[in-house]
Amino acid sequence: MADGILLERAGVPAVSICTDSFVIPARAMAKVYGFPGYEFVTVPHPLASLDQAQLEELAAGVLPAMLRILGPES
Amino acid sequence: MAAAAGTDQAPRADLPLADATEIRRAMEYYAERDWTDGLPVVPVTESYLAEFLAQTRRDPDEVVLSMPHLNRQCTVRLAAINAALAGCRPEYFPVVLAAWDSLRAEGYAGRAIWQSTTGTAPFLLVNGPVRRRIGMNAAGNVFGSGFRANATIGRAIRLTAINTFGLRPHQLDQATQGTPAKCTACVAENEEESPWPPLHADHGLDPSDSAVTAMIIRSCLHIEARHTTVPEQLALDLAGTISRTGALIHETTSALVVLGPEHARLFGHAGWGKADLSRFIYDHAVRTRAELAAVGKDAIARQTRWRVPADHPDAVPDRAEAEGNRDDDVRVLNSPGAVLVAVAGANNAGVSAVIETFGPRGGPPAVVRVEDERGTT
Repeated sequence: MADGILLERAGVPAVSICTDSFVIPARAMAKVYGFPGYEFVTVPHPLASLDQAQLEELAAGVLPAMLRILGPES
Repeated sequence: MAAAAGTDQAPRADLPLADATEIRRAMEYYAERDWTDGLPVVPVTESYLAEFLAQTRRDPDEVVLSMPHLNRQCTVRLAAINAALAGCRPEYFPVVLAAWDSLRAEGYAGRAIWQSTTGTAPFLLVNGPVRRRIGMNAAGNVFGSGFRANATIGRAIRLTAINTFGLRPHQLDQATQGTPAKCTACVAENEEESPWPPLHADHGLDPSDSAVTAMIIRSCLHIEARHTTVPEQLALDLAGTISRTGALIHETTSALVVLGPEHARLFGHAGWGKADLSRFIYDHAVRTRAELAAVGKDAIARQTRWRVPADHPDAVPDRAEAEGNRDDDVRVLNSPGAVLVAVAGANNAGVSAVIETFGPRGGPPAVVRVEDERGTT
């Protein structure tokens, strides 16, 4: 969460992703960084034990949400 | 009889006069603000805080630990407030400050480890005359309850983590399970019943100094071995415990072996020093490649260096395999220095403990001298 916020503040478009188990600490961390409304993407838990195909499927699933937060022009 | 009963019911002159409702109101005030680990805390006033600050020559605004990623710092004053909240007596405060100095020197506490899912805890080992001066327990039930200095010095660290750094569970403290040591974990070394010099003397301090050595720990494992007088057998029992695969998140692990006096004397009588025991454990804390493969930990990840299965896309050979020892036993320790040895507990049974540490593996422990009554270190 901190990395995403710091990148954004440095002018680098970024989207933070965390699993749904970390929503509360993620919001707490965003608040610590002075960005209480910081928007991020969540994915189902767990993540660490997924294989390549499962990871690719998951990434494809969250791509629209990431693009919406990034806000590309087209 | 009636007169006697009446006398019994009269307030005794030596009892403090206080309004229980006001005491409960103060306790609830702290609880409602979450300035607690879940247990009641001691209300702190400016005058009580001053008694703690009078125990040190350090500036109340001096920073004892920073967490830059949270933009939060603990000062001497904040450490004192939390020590008072925890139930410390003012004279414990130099030990609390040395604990913070040691945690800063150890390094992990300032780098977000207390927010990790691993759920580590600070563990404090106290050496030297201060143990007796403030009534610390080094003997029976040393990891248990019953001693104010042990209980409250460890708790002072936890309350600071909660109140100063904001590391509350379910929020910034993301521990999956944590460890009971997170409530308090502070023991004194049983120097009087050890066959060896105390830990702080092994690392350059005088035995007449007092010192705190802080470690970041994951767990405390019990070793029951009443059956043997053969030092190699006991040392293999310890090595077998240290080399359990569940401890191997990283390529190697590290440990503090806390020997009960009976076990320490067994080694001492056989002519073993602490360095001999560490070397023996280093040589025998191994798993076969097949055992590691069976639990999917026979390689390490390229970036994190965490153990993963050999067929993982990020897998690279571990150090043993990279050195050409593909089929040999794989050491789970990177050096003899990854095993520290201390003595604590009662001299009444063949019981010891392996404290699984998290952090420097083979580097020197963070032994910090306690400021004495004259305010010098």
